[in-house]
Amino acid sequence: MHAVVAVIEHDLRVFFKYRFTMAGLISMNLADLLIMAVVYTRMVSFNYFQFLAPGVTATGLFAAAFVIGREVNMETRRGYNQYLLSLPLRRYELVLGRMTAGGLRGMIYAIPLLVLAMFILKFPTLSQFGAMLFAMYLLSMGISGLAISLAVALRSFEKFTTARSLLYLLLIFCSTVFYPLAVLRQILPGSLILFAQLNPLSAVADLIRGYLIGAPPVTTQSWTELLSFSCVFILGGAGLYRIAIERSVK
Amino acid sequence: MKKIHLVIERDLRSMMQQKSILVMRWFFAIVQIGIFGLAISRIVTVMQNYYTYYAMGVIVMTMYSVAIFTGYEIYDENDDGYTEYLLSIPLTRKELVIGRSLAGGIRSLLFMAPIIAGFMYLIGIADPLRVGMALVALFGFTFGVSGLSITLAVGLRSGDKFDIIMGALDAFIVRLSSALYPQTFMPKPIAILSQFNPLTYASDLFRWSLNFNTQYLANPTTAVIVLVLFLTTFNVCGVLIYERSLEGGTWR
Repeated sequence: MHAVVAVIEHDLRVFFKYRFTMAGLISMNLADLLIMAVVYTRMVSFNYFQFLAPGVTATGLFAAAFVIGREVNMETRRGYNQYLLSLPLRRYELVLGRMTAGGLRGMIYAIPLLVLAMFILKFPTLSQFGAMLFAMYLLSMGISGLAISLAVALRSFEKFTTARSLLYLLLIFCSTVFYPLAVLRQILPGSLILFAQLNPLSAVADLIRGYLIGAPPVTTQSWTELLSFSCVFILGGAGLYRIAIERSVK
Repeated sequence: MKKIHLVIERDLRSMMQQKSILVMRWFFAIVQIGIFGLAISRIVTVMQNYYTYYAMGVIVMTMYSVAIFTGYEIYDENDDGYTEYLLSIPLTRKELVIGRSLAGGIRSLLFMAPIIAGFMYLIGIADPLRVGMALVALFGFTFGVSGLSITLAVGLRSGDKFDIIMGALDAFIVRLSSALYPQTFMPKPIAILSQFNPLTYASDLFRWSLNFNTQYLANPTTAVIVLVLFLTTFNVCGVLIYERSLEGGTWR
């Protein structure tokens, strides 16, 4: 357990080295909410500002949790894995530590955005707050797993950044982060609607909306989708990372 | 003139080497227009034809982000020690900066040409005069943006400052402009800030050239004046700062 904590601590320290990238990301999220959403509220038939606040929390969480992929990709290319494997750690401790740290990094970034959303919408009960944090952590861990899987599967930095951008566009825009599902049903073909429904970003954005504004209502289905996504990517990411880190030094 | 031509050619070639970045920017513009634009125009109730308005804004916005890329390249060159090589070439600083700014404008235009052509075809614009005016407006703007990014890249020596300024510019310049929504619907403070933003005038001039409803646009004469001032100011600043920062290796 001590080893896992040490890995988490290391990864959290590294995270703060990206503070300038994070500052850019925060600017983007705040500009979306405090400028774009404010203007759109005057142009659409519902309060878009309130609608977008939970969505911005989900996108921020996604972007911050994905940063670990960039690091793992760089480590794999630069042979840093040899150093990691030489540490007095079991493989599973290293993998568990990194995945947990990836999830925590997303949370560190997204919690202030959630608090902002609570100020804008309403303060939930303690149990609702706990449920939101749990949902966010599941998404964050799942995204970290996805990022690590991609980082080790695509060793070239160019391929990794291209795949990351493609995923980013698909997951953010084919979701209910920026618009309700009913609107997407009018414009997207069936397969993309299904993608938007199963998209974990939609699940988290809608769960936060459900707890903070009551619509759409929180359903067992949202939780099931989120749990399934997280389980697949946490386990997949952990397995791939474990295999790749050993292969990368042979 | 021939030397400037060489600088432009080199920068165009270097753009072609960044295929994945180019493809991603295209894909980004297409997703913005094809998904976000379509979806948001379904919920906008205060204006007709918002989709066309939005698509035109995304085109200008994407050109802005391609033009600003010149600054990142210059910053990387300083970082990699490539500036020494550039200094050894028989070019004046002025030729180098003007060449790079012009190349930034040209490559933004070339990069977005297929999307602009497809869009004009879809909305039925075939009048050569209007097409020409639209392209001149876009080129003038991106030429100025390249000058701005060069000024920032050579003026800010700290990598952290450069990252923050570029991130903030990306986030706020677009949202505090009429690229995505008309000034008419902005709250007063945002509308005031957008009046000092060249992206507002470039987007509106582009829309005006393509015959969009003028009710939602800035005055075209004002837009032309602002864009000329913008591109002159930042290219002159770029030349002056570049010259000063290169002497004696102070860019390091």
